[in-house]
Amino acid sequence: MIRFDNVSKSYKGGVTALTGISLEITKGEFVFLVGSSGSGKTTFLKLLLREELPDGGRIWVAGRDIGELSHWRVPYLRRNLGCVFQDFRLLPNKTVAENVAFALEVIGRPRSVIRSQVTQVLELVGLGQKHDRRPDELSGGEQQRVAVARAFVNRPLVLLADEPTGNLDPSTSQGIMKLLDRINRTGTTVVMATHDVGIVDSMRRRVIELDRGHLVRDQERGIYGYGDASSTSTRGVPAVAAGLADQDPSRRTGRVAAVRARRGQR
Amino acid sequence: MALSIEYVAKETATNLWRNRLMALAAVLTVAVSLSLVGTALLLRQAVNRQIGELGRNVNLQVFVQANATTAQIATIRSQIQQTPQITHFTYLDHEQSYQQAIKLLSGSPSAVAALTPATTPPVFRCQLANPNDGPAVAAQFSGVPGVYRAEVPSQSIHVLQQVTNVLQVILLVIAVVLLVSSLVLILNAIRMAIFARRREVGVMKLVGATNWFIRIPFMLEGLVQGMLGAIVAVVIVLLSNMGVSYLIRHYHVNVLASSVLPAHDLLMTELLVVAVGLVVGVAGSSVAVRRFLDV
Repeated sequence: MIRFDNVSKSYKGGVTALTGISLEITKGEFVFLVGSSGSGKTTFLKLLLREELPDGGRIWVAGRDIGELSHWRVPYLRRNLGCVFQDFRLLPNKTVAENVAFALEVIGRPRSVIRSQVTQVLELVGLGQKHDRRPDELSGGEQQRVAVARAFVNRPLVLLADEPTGNLDPSTSQGIMKLLDRINRTGTTVVMATHDVGIVDSMRRRVIELDRGHLVRDQERGIYGYGDASSTSTRGVPAVAAGLADQDPSRRTGRVAAVRARRGQR
Repeated sequence: MALSIEYVAKETATNLWRNRLMALAAVLTVAVSLSLVGTALLLRQAVNRQIGELGRNVNLQVFVQANATTAQIATIRSQIQQTPQITHFTYLDHEQSYQQAIKLLSGSPSAVAALTPATTPPVFRCQLANPNDGPAVAAQFSGVPGVYRAEVPSQSIHVLQQVTNVLQVILLVIAVVLLVSSLVLILNAIRMAIFARRREVGVMKLVGATNWFIRIPFMLEGLVQGMLGAIVAVVIVLLSNMGVSYLIRHYHVNVLASSVLPAHDLLMTELLVVAVGLVVGVAGSSVAVRRFLDV
């Protein structure tokens, strides 16, 4: 579904955002993208959306090299990628239903389709009763549900979420995660950049860690940080975390290679 | 891609209303500049018609006495033919000259009634190689038997032509300056509209709206501003034309009667005004969309 092949990106002024990233995300996976601020998570998502072009390497989305896409095809790529952000990005002068419908209107879907899809997706996110409220009448969690509904209403192949729980309290975040999990179970690939240790640790999904633009960990059923080795091993995953507490970069890279090799064997 | 007319119309109307002061400024500037353009064009057409009526490129008119004999007329003719400065001439006999006079005096029935073909002097309309020779050549003919008067109408026409040329250039320069400023105003209006809708635009890009889908409402907004300005200008030009025509008729300024333009000329001018308005609107919004809407 998504493949990065030795992708590098640096911005003007010599800031290196990503260096030599290679990875593959298959259809239906749920992937956490973790790393401290400035580690390149947002650049990763921007490259996927083709808001930025890589300086080197190639990126495939749904079998297409998106670097090869002509300018006018980019919108069609984005129709396959739903997006959710920390700050929701809802339109304040539209109701919940209108916000969701807007995503379909502007890609020219017929009205009858829009009506049924919007109703359906609002039921899915649990906002069927609040379809005529405006965003400022909703709680943060509800607003994020609207954003998820908008991202998902067109049934994208991939849902990208950039710190979707960053503005929410833990229990509300749990609700959003349940929703994303539900969406993932419909077969939608979910890539979520996050800082939320609790969420990553409790979900036990694949974790990709970036550090200053380098891929330092790619782990099945991973956790956010290092150290909680016992819980990792109980899940039957080799004790990756213990060794990673060590800051030696060469050893880290070795671990990544090991993990990748293991993924390849399956 | 299905681009619903309803969606585009709604978006354009909303944009215009949200930005109504800027839109108003742009529309009014377009209106003023296009009114000037229209007026300048009408003025030129009126003057051309007027000059055409008086005889384009006629540098010298030799009026023959109404009771001159055929022999006298023949002598004058041969003398004109022999004058080297005269390159070309036409002769209007009693009847043709009378018709011409009726045209010129059409606003004043009493004057027309006083004329008959017999009392209207025939005239030789001459073209000179060098218009500056006019007075000298006229002097040669003034004593010839049968000649009523030799005069140089070209001078008044020349002055008229020069005055209108200058006036026209001034009007057109002002109009062009105003057109440029209206283009900039439309550009700015669209820029503000884009800024006001940056959230929507951001979401549209995110969910995969095509570039043209995002652009068209803004382009249309500029087009509508240009068009509204043009419509106001069309009305102004129409009213000023009607006003001038009314004054000419009402005060029997018969000499200017032919300045009243036929409907056809007026229509063409108005169409041109509308076309220029549309072009200015589209140009302004295209630049704004390309510069400020990075899709």
